[in-house]
Amino acid sequence: MNNVKHRFNQIVRIASKEWKLLLRNPHGLVVLFFMPAVFVLVMSFTLKNTLIANIDMPTTGWVLEDESPLVTHWMTEWQERYGGRVFSAREDLQLALKDGRINAGVIVLKPWLDNEGRPSSKQIEIWLGNRVQPAAAARLRAEMVFSVLRVQMKSAAAQAGPFASVLVNSSDWTELLGEQNTPNIRYLYEIESGRKMTAVQQSVPAWLIFGMFFVVIPIAGVLIQERKDGTLTRLASFGVPTVSILGGKFVAFMILNWIQLGFMLLVGRWIVPLLGGDALYLDFSISWFLLIVAATSAAAVSLALLIAAFTRSFDHAAALGSGLNVLLGAIAGVMVPRMLMPTGMQLVSEWSPMGWALDGMQAVFLGHPDAKIMIPRITLLVLFAALCCLASWWRLRKI
Amino acid sequence: MNEQTPVLLAEHVGFRYPGQSTDALKEVDVTLVKGQAVGLLGPNGSGKSTLIDLLMGLKKPGSGRIVRPKLSQFSMALVPQEYAFYPDLTCVENLRFFAGMLDISSDESARRVDAAITNSMLEEFAEKRANQCSGGVRRKLNLGIALLQKPDILLLDEPTVGIDPQSRAFILEQVKTLVASGCSVLYATHYMEEVSAVCSNILLLDHGTVLASGNLASLLLHPEGGMPFSNLESLFMHYTKRSLRDSGHIHE
Repeated sequence: MNNVKHRFNQIVRIASKEWKLLLRNPHGLVVLFFMPAVFVLVMSFTLKNTLIANIDMPTTGWVLEDESPLVTHWMTEWQERYGGRVFSAREDLQLALKDGRINAGVIVLKPWLDNEGRPSSKQIEIWLGNRVQPAAAARLRAEMVFSVLRVQMKSAAAQAGPFASVLVNSSDWTELLGEQNTPNIRYLYEIESGRKMTAVQQSVPAWLIFGMFFVVIPIAGVLIQERKDGTLTRLASFGVPTVSILGGKFVAFMILNWIQLGFMLLVGRWIVPLLGGDALYLDFSISWFLLIVAATSAAAVSLALLIAAFTRSFDHAAALGSGLNVLLGAIAGVMVPRMLMPTGMQLVSEWSPMGWALDGMQAVFLGHPDAKIMIPRITLLVLFAALCCLASWWRLRKI
Repeated sequence: MNEQTPVLLAEHVGFRYPGQSTDALKEVDVTLVKGQAVGLLGPNGSGKSTLIDLLMGLKKPGSGRIVRPKLSQFSMALVPQEYAFYPDLTCVENLRFFAGMLDISSDESARRVDAAITNSMLEEFAEKRANQCSGGVRRKLNLGIALLQKPDILLLDEPTVGIDPQSRAFILEQVKTLVASGCSVLYATHYMEEVSAVCSNILLLDHGTVLASGNLASLLLHPEGGMPFSNLESLFMHYTKRSLRDSGHIHE
């Protein structure tokens, strides 16, 4: 038989054997399919508020240590707009925060007015419940400062004379960050694609990549068992070269990655909306999509082969593989979106295979892939895969 | 080819594992001729498995040379000490998988799988997963997989460890049949009675060195001029100065 055809047959048969073994290991499949799917569901809802412009104000309680008429007037005005209740002492406010009756507290210290009779933001303490989102806290603080500024302006206008007072008092009370009054924020991807970033659009590619890299568990399981029980030696005695053994596994697990992809798209497109989340957009560039998924899959399977080749036991491989995946995922922005990272971490995340995959995948999923973004990342992923495969072959070539 | 022409030859072979300070094998000579069974005896760690790997071509010798026939003319098969197959596959799936690794047609592959099932008496267990089979069935499968290669040279590394007497007798019978049909066999084991039953020649290894080798009957006559040995175990104890137990423990 022609040698190339024979090697091809060997690879196909090894890949088919890997699939038989996979299908007989339901626990491994659960890790590979359900773990990332559950993460997509959870994160699509967890991050929902992070990626929208309007944040609800937390329910606020007040303690007025300065009970001057101006403070009372200001608080009443605030409460008419945002609601909230008054507590007689700090201890009561603290208790209400603890019980969850309110989410935030405002304590107006005495004296609120400075020597010139103007209210001071420094004389206000804001207390927050432990579960108040940073964005909501930021909004409360901004609205509070804006509100104090209005009182200062009114006070200054009153001193300036009746005409100024009429001008200031006739202007409506407006929210600084209210829905009607916020500047329109547009991220670059939104400008380029005309789409809004949603949590599901962020989560599906991120957790898909994470799930794809978890093939280390089944690959290590089979390869280490083959090494330990002499099956690799036997395959060598059957004239099967290391390249065919690795090639068979490579093909089998790349196919698995594509099935994972289909499953995750299904979850993002149909399951998340069923539960009240946003639906995943699927109208993306197919050619870039196929290229970035193939390159990501190659990198994921190759890294798994590398770990399996260089570890001595399944426990060792599972611990190293899982740990490395979590670390790479954290660096790349899988767990915490990159936009929430500080600039330094964002730079670090650009040097992770999962980061390259995530950049490329998000460009595709957000609808604005172009060669400038895609080609460097696809090249890096393919080079990474080639290096991992080469090192795995080198390690296993003498078995 | 002449009956006495070596089909496998190792001359002054030495081997040292990376990072080790001592040689695993030193100046080892092995000759295997057509239709001959050579018993490879030695305590654990004596170098038997290393020698088999070298003869099989799975490792390269550090010194000396190994002359193997061209694989286009001869086929060599290995029965490893471990159950070297996939425990989650059935017996027949394992046989089909390994047959599929050979450069033969699919018809020939199917024929060999059928023959291996019949010859190894695996019919009853063919559809059973290997990990659900007894030790005896697994040993038969281990041998059956090697026989898919229709070997002219068969290297067996402790093929009967941990099995019942019936399965052991069956495997020994199979090896004897192979030898009678012209297959050359190198049989590494701890069991003296198996070597006596199957092999005409022996190679006695300890600490990587050949202590004795040659025709078993001649060696039992004590070529150094002493009293003939009563059995193979006496011969073994004479050369190694220790006994060899089934468990592999060495008793000085």
